[in-house]
Amino acid sequence: MTSRTRESLLFDAFATLADTLVAEYDVVELLQLLVETCQSALGVAEAGLLLANPNDELELVASTSESMELVEAIQLAAEQGPCIDSFHSGRTVSVPDLDADTTEGWEEFRAVVAEQGFHSVYTVPLRLRDQVLGTLNLFGRDRGPLTEHDTRAAKALADVATIGILHERSFRATNLLREQLQVALDSRVVIEQAKGVLAHTHSVTPEQAFELLRNHARDAQRRLADVAGQIVRREIIV
Amino acid sequence: MTPDFSDVFERLRSFSGPDADLTDQILRIVPATGASVATMGFLAAETVAASDPRAARLDEAQFDLGEGPCWDAVATRAPVLQPDLQGEGAVRWPALVQSLQGEGIEGVYAFPMAVGSLIMGAIDLYRTGPRPLGKDEVSRASAVAEVLSSYVLRRALARSGGEEPIPDESPFSRRMVHQATGYVMAQLGVSAAEAELLIRGRAFGSGRSMREIATEIIQGRHRFEVKGNMIEDGQ
Repeated sequence: MTSRTRESLLFDAFATLADTLVAEYDVVELLQLLVETCQSALGVAEAGLLLANPNDELELVASTSESMELVEAIQLAAEQGPCIDSFHSGRTVSVPDLDADTTEGWEEFRAVVAEQGFHSVYTVPLRLRDQVLGTLNLFGRDRGPLTEHDTRAAKALADVATIGILHERSFRATNLLREQLQVALDSRVVIEQAKGVLAHTHSVTPEQAFELLRNHARDAQRRLADVAGQIVRREIIV
Repeated sequence: MTPDFSDVFERLRSFSGPDADLTDQILRIVPATGASVATMGFLAAETVAASDPRAARLDEAQFDLGEGPCWDAVATRAPVLQPDLQGEGAVRWPALVQSLQGEGIEGVYAFPMAVGSLIMGAIDLYRTGPRPLGKDEVSRASAVAEVLSSYVLRRALARSGGEEPIPDESPFSRRMVHQATGYVMAQLGVSAAEAELLIRGRAFGSGRSMREIATEIIQGRHRFEVKGNMIEDGQ
């Protein structure tokens, strides 16, 4: 593959990623696109993305192949080897020649990965300031370091992934907060409106209407605010 | 610089009530004639505290009419400064300025209160004298709005249970308006939004507040009826 083709592939990938981030997006699809871009535009055989769960354990969320071999290798990488190292240190960890590597504690990782025919591993952390969300892991069939160009591209892709994940998380958190608050806070207005509807319909005072509303909710074993909402929307008549 | 600025600021940061003390604290560090604090935007529009009847009237008129500096501050998420209410202000908010005739308000200033991306309300300040608020005073009021936003949210959440009536009813409560909205819905078979609009229109048309109209509706002194395809006032 010529470098020109790779560059245009990268260019296309960044353009697509930027479009995706601007619109609504599915974060898993975004990460899948990222690992596939790594595979096609960087000189690596396979790529996988590990994300930390709330217990700070790394989980595989996207990979270029569903083959058991790759999946197993990446899952193991979550426990020992350069990926977990990179996650803890927040730094890029490069192992250009696995066969020559002698790091203690990585023995099982080296054996499994070598069995799959990989000879080099590069891990880039997904990091924003002090927070490390996970790692982008690249597996090569050849030995040797990534070119400077590919290293920069890998970091840029990892940054895009970081932004995409954080943005989606904050969006989801805000939305959840918004929904929970809205439910809690809207109920006051809706209950008052429902009291008005019942007060007029039954020719009683608003206080008596509140009792009617409350009794109905109790009998139906439903939340007061839900019953009030149905009355106001004319879904039930009390 | 007012000597007790940081003192008041800290007090507001950990403010826990009563609501009526809010505006005294604000006016200690921002030299306006009067101040009010209102929930808006994400929360139902309602005055939390007002330093004097004129401040309360300024809030209520804005809620009833749906226009004014606090609505603009909430919509733009930025302070709205209008030192010349009768001049430029009258072009921007004609109905509001008309309904505030004779109140003697020269300048109005509104500061949005937000928690994250959610707007919780606004602080309104007004002045009767011609001197506008200075730059420092504006940034102080903005800072106050920022610290009070979380108090306003906590307060709304504490009142949101819904299972029991609220024990300490605020004098500025708009629950009468919400109840009256329900009456009108039942009288005419219209939606909540339409019913509220009818009450708003009736208030505007008669130069009274929505709360006054609401009280009459609840007491049965004012009712809406459909005659042919017209909505009329019944007795």
